[in-house]
Amino acid sequence: MSAAVPASVGKEHVQHIRDDRASVLREVRKIIIGQDDVVDDVMTSFFAGGHCLITGVPGLAKTLLISTLGRALELTFKRIQFTPDLMPSDIVGHEVLIERDGRREMTFVHGPIFSNIVLADEINRTPPKTQAALLEAMQEHQVTVGGTTTPLPEPFFVLATQNPIEHEGTYPLPIAQQDRFMFSLFISYPKMDEEKEILDTTTSNRFVDIRPALHGEQLLHAQQVIRNIPVATPIARYAVTLATSSRPNSELAPAFVREYVSIGASLRGSQYLVLGARARAALDGRLAVSVEDIRSVALGVLRHRIVTNFKAAAAKVDSDEIVKRLIEAVPAPRAEL
Amino acid sequence: MVPSEQLKQLAEVHTKLLGELGQVIMGQREAIDHAIAALLCNGHVLLTGGAACAKGLLAQSLSRALQLQFKRIQFTPDLMPSDITGSEVLDEDAHTGRRVARFVPGPIFTNILMADEINRTPPKTQAALLEGMQERQVSAGGETRPLPKPFFVIATKTNIETDGTYPLPEAQQDRFMLNIEMGTLSQADELEVVLKDPASNLGKIRPILDGEQLLAFQRVVRDIAVPADVQQYIVNLTTASRPGTPQAIEAAGKYVAWGAGVRATQYLALGAKALAALESRETATVADVRRVALPVMRHRIGVNFLAENDAVTPASIVSLLLEKLR
Repeated sequence: MSAAVPASVGKEHVQHIRDDRASVLREVRKIIIGQDDVVDDVMTSFFAGGHCLITGVPGLAKTLLISTLGRALELTFKRIQFTPDLMPSDIVGHEVLIERDGRREMTFVHGPIFSNIVLADEINRTPPKTQAALLEAMQEHQVTVGGTTTPLPEPFFVLATQNPIEHEGTYPLPIAQQDRFMFSLFISYPKMDEEKEILDTTTSNRFVDIRPALHGEQLLHAQQVIRNIPVATPIARYAVTLATSSRPNSELAPAFVREYVSIGASLRGSQYLVLGARARAALDGRLAVSVEDIRSVALGVLRHRIVTNFKAAAAKVDSDEIVKRLIEAVPAPRAEL
Repeated sequence: MVPSEQLKQLAEVHTKLLGELGQVIMGQREAIDHAIAALLCNGHVLLTGGAACAKGLLAQSLSRALQLQFKRIQFTPDLMPSDITGSEVLDEDAHTGRRVARFVPGPIFTNILMADEINRTPPKTQAALLEGMQERQVSAGGETRPLPKPFFVIATKTNIETDGTYPLPEAQQDRFMLNIEMGTLSQADELEVVLKDPASNLGKIRPILDGEQLLAFQRVVRDIAVPADVQQYIVNLTTASRPGTPQAIEAAGKYVAWGAGVRATQYLALGAKALAALESRETATVADVRRVALPVMRHRIGVNFLAENDAVTPASIVSLLLEKLR
């Protein structure tokens, strides 16, 4: 698959990842103006090997952002518009009968999911069975059609977008399905200055050339390195405490969690907090994962895993607010000597 | 810098186009100018308006004057994506007798595609068209095929009140550069239409331009300058439509569910450039921006229940924006 997994991760490995990040950013910045946080978070998920759920109103150039990242990483990119009449086979592919050298045989026609980066646009417009086809592929990195299992290309990322606007006839993703996404990110309007810059650069004849800064194999290798970065026990315990405290029936749950939360973060929440923090440290060129790394990914990792109740809606407390309060409430481990 | 020679040519082309189209279409001067601007910006157009308001005539006469290939698809509830993009058929080779798959391109492989009553077709078929519009290529039979250049979609929509329609999701509407509303004719113009039947002149339209020249003019338009104060005006206009931002006007906070996005900002600039170029000007002005504001922003603003209750439409929000910001 990729280069040998390093037996132990050294400073030089993470410094390499930091340099990779810088060169990818340099390419992406030729086209994408602003949206620093989203670019950073999507990049973190790519290096960690996780999928992203993206919420934002139409017209914010989400497709451009993601396809540009794909070009900078030399990854193939496909966009699927999810609609109420989309079928699972429209995503994964189907078998057709063809004739070859006088004999008829079944051939598998690959669906659009066979791509390194899949942008699943407006995932909540499609019925559950079709959503499930995508989510199964996300989880297993393979699809099964007509009794044959075909692996998906690696690396494989799904970025699914959701419309924040309430609609009739949309199918919200069940919480268990949302749980498969490492991050849930919000994308909002650019700042006024950024928007003027976008206007200036995108409506003229300026030609921008994006060169691949990294290729798939290198990214896979970086993912292995990141997974092998050691995490000190107190730091891991902090991540677990953060996730556990969000569960209303846990002993650790603060009063506001008991009052406002109906479902807390799952085990995947703890896992992704640690993985995300590892990726953050590596992208920063550090071997030591810190409490700050955990905190920097906490909103993205936890907001879609925490479900608030009616009381919370009445008090205008959303899951973002819960995560912010948890970060304040859970004490950081003391520095060990 | 824009060569003044090309700008002069563009204004001449504009005059000639108006002359040719005027033989066929009565009135509708603003709609025609907007449609020409969209062609110069390589942008797609959503045409709305009542029945028999010359939507089809506009599309057809433009293709004739520009010597572009024209195709029309009537969208129906049973239309399939492959009816638009094309499909593979099994062919028998006359010599060897072997059967081979051959791709038969669908009607989307043209220069100007008129997509009639786009909201009569189910979402997956709509999505096939919109994907072709956005990516200017079509994936069918496992292969990606580029669409001809230039490629424009002029889509029409039936009124929302009509039963059995599938409304275009807002993200899909956003793919259209302009939503041009065809106006109703004055009584005098209507009488003229009844007496002279201008539509029968369609065959008399003379070629003014060809596809290659159009592509060259598209580059000229992108070279038109947008001064800093005009840029600021554009951003002020879009930002003021977004509820929840400090710059939002009061009506936006009250009636708007979602405001005009970044694409509106981009197309306001591009549209203003085109209108300036059509008048041989090297610089776009605030007046140009104001002239394209309604067709650029109308379909990019969503209103809430309260607005429906108070009969506030996206168009009236745009008018308010233009009134408040000068």
